Amino acid sequence: MQKFANPVVFLKLANAVLPWVWVLTALLFAIGLYGALVSTPPDAVQGEAMRIMYIHVPAAWMGLFVYVLMAGFSAVALVYRHPLADAAAKTAAPLGAMFCFLALATGSIWGKPMWGTWWVWDARLTSMFVLMLLYMGYVAVWNAIDDPHLAAKIARIIALVGVINIPIVKFSVDWWNTLHQPASVFTMKGSKIDPSMLWALLVMALAYTFLFLALHLVSMRSEIAARKLRQLRSNEIGAR
Amino acid sequence: MDWAAHNAGYVLAAYGLSCVGLVAIALFIILQDRKNAKALRQQKD
Amino acid sequence: MWQSCKALLWRDVQLAQRQGGGLGAALAFILAVLVLVPISVGPDLALLQRLAPGLMWLSLLLAVLLTADRMFQQDFEDGSLDLMTMAALPFELVVLTKFLGHWLTVSLPLALIAPPLGLMLNLDVASLPILWLSMFAGSLALSLLAGLGGAVTVGLRRGGLLVSLLIMPLYVPVLIFGVSATTMMMGPQSPVPSLLILVAITLVSLVVAPLASAAALRAYLQ
Repeated sequence: MQKFANPVVFLKLANAVLPWVWVLTALLFAIGLYGALVSTPPDAVQGEAMRIMYIHVPAAWMGLFVYVLMAGFSAVALVYRHPLADAAAKTAAPLGAMFCFLALATGSIWGKPMWGTWWVWDARLTSMFVLMLLYMGYVAVWNAIDDPHLAAKIARIIALVGVINIPIVKFSVDWWNTLHQPASVFTMKGSKIDPSMLWALLVMALAYTFLFLALHLVSMRSEIAARKLRQLRSNEIGAR
Repeated sequence: MDWAAHNAGYVLAAYGLSCVGLVAIALFIILQDRKNAKALRQQKD
Repeated sequence: MWQSCKALLWRDVQLAQRQGGGLGAALAFILAVLVLVPISVGPDLALLQRLAPGLMWLSLLLAVLLTADRMFQQDFEDGSLDLMTMAALPFELVVLTKFLGHWLTVSLPLALIAPPLGLMLNLDVASLPILWLSMFAGSLALSLLAGLGGAVTVGLRRGGLLVSLLIMPLYVPVLIFGVSATTMMMGPQSPVPSLLILVAITLVSLVVAPLASAAALRAYLQ
């Protein structure tokens, strides 16, 4: 198994794919933003504020998706002792945290014209907030432990416990929210998504996915270089 | 165009913030990659 | 196997009794929160009554969290934990026994003492039994998850803040169902579903926490 985890093979592949991924990302963003800001009509109920959806919803999707991906890498690392999988999980976390933060921030900005307040303890925003805390804990583990091998082992456990926790949090926050249902909360059901809006949303979601892919590949390349560097330096010290 | 009636300020703020956030993390990652690659090349020499 | 589990549990309980600190400090922490709450939100009795069940749960949760880093620290530093990995017992069972010891010496006593203290926040006397029940049901989960936090940070010198960050998200469901059992009692609904879900969360933690903690401790001991 260790032979398939060869970073050289990965680097070759990543370097070959990266330019195409960047081009595709730029293209998708161009089309998606055109759709989101120009071609789609303003919503009947919400007006222009609806356009925030095209960046809020993809960010929220990515926030969740990246965590599941990270947990998947951690599980692979746990089972196959695949060093590349640890690097993949480690580098995915800051990106996921950023998507989470953007989902929360744009949700808050969207909330102001819709709810009349910057923050509502609505079920989805609350679970997103907890998800961001999970990301922050995961990143903090990598930062707190100096030995990279130990940090990798502990981080795997944290990621896997976190992914078990996500559905439980989701369920309990929904329960809690119906218990304290505020009087006038805007729901997505109120304004059904029109097909003319849907295509722009999907293109934006794809654009976010490819942006993540590009940044993740670069970040992994950087992590592999950093590891090699550390190894070379410690060899040098050992040789003296 | 009547900006306030269309909530254009909020839309602008949301898009602006997302743009700044994504560009910031992208720059950070790319610069980190450059730095590591350069340090690795120098170490090998 | 049963014998050695009992011996280990007895050792932990005795150690906790002789050394003190854990339960006493946690109790003092709850008392300190009790003073700070009226000072921060004002002495309005109606408001305090509304907040009381939630605040008692919150203070219990934070008090247990504060004892998390002590759970394995000493045994890790003096090498007893190393010996325990080599015992005939599966290490997961050793960890579970230590969690039970923590529950018996810290969380359970706190869960029994905390509800009456809520009377200082004008807690409704009628809600005392349900608060006892929900805290009893949730306290084991609190111990288990705190123990998980203690295990993943055992070798770190400045683990305290990290434990809180890691464990708070895991405490969210426990807090929600613990509090909702008490608030439902006040309303027309039955608190039984909340209590059952609380027990279910405890059972899930009973499986996940020892497995994950044992894996983390092994990583630190290598």
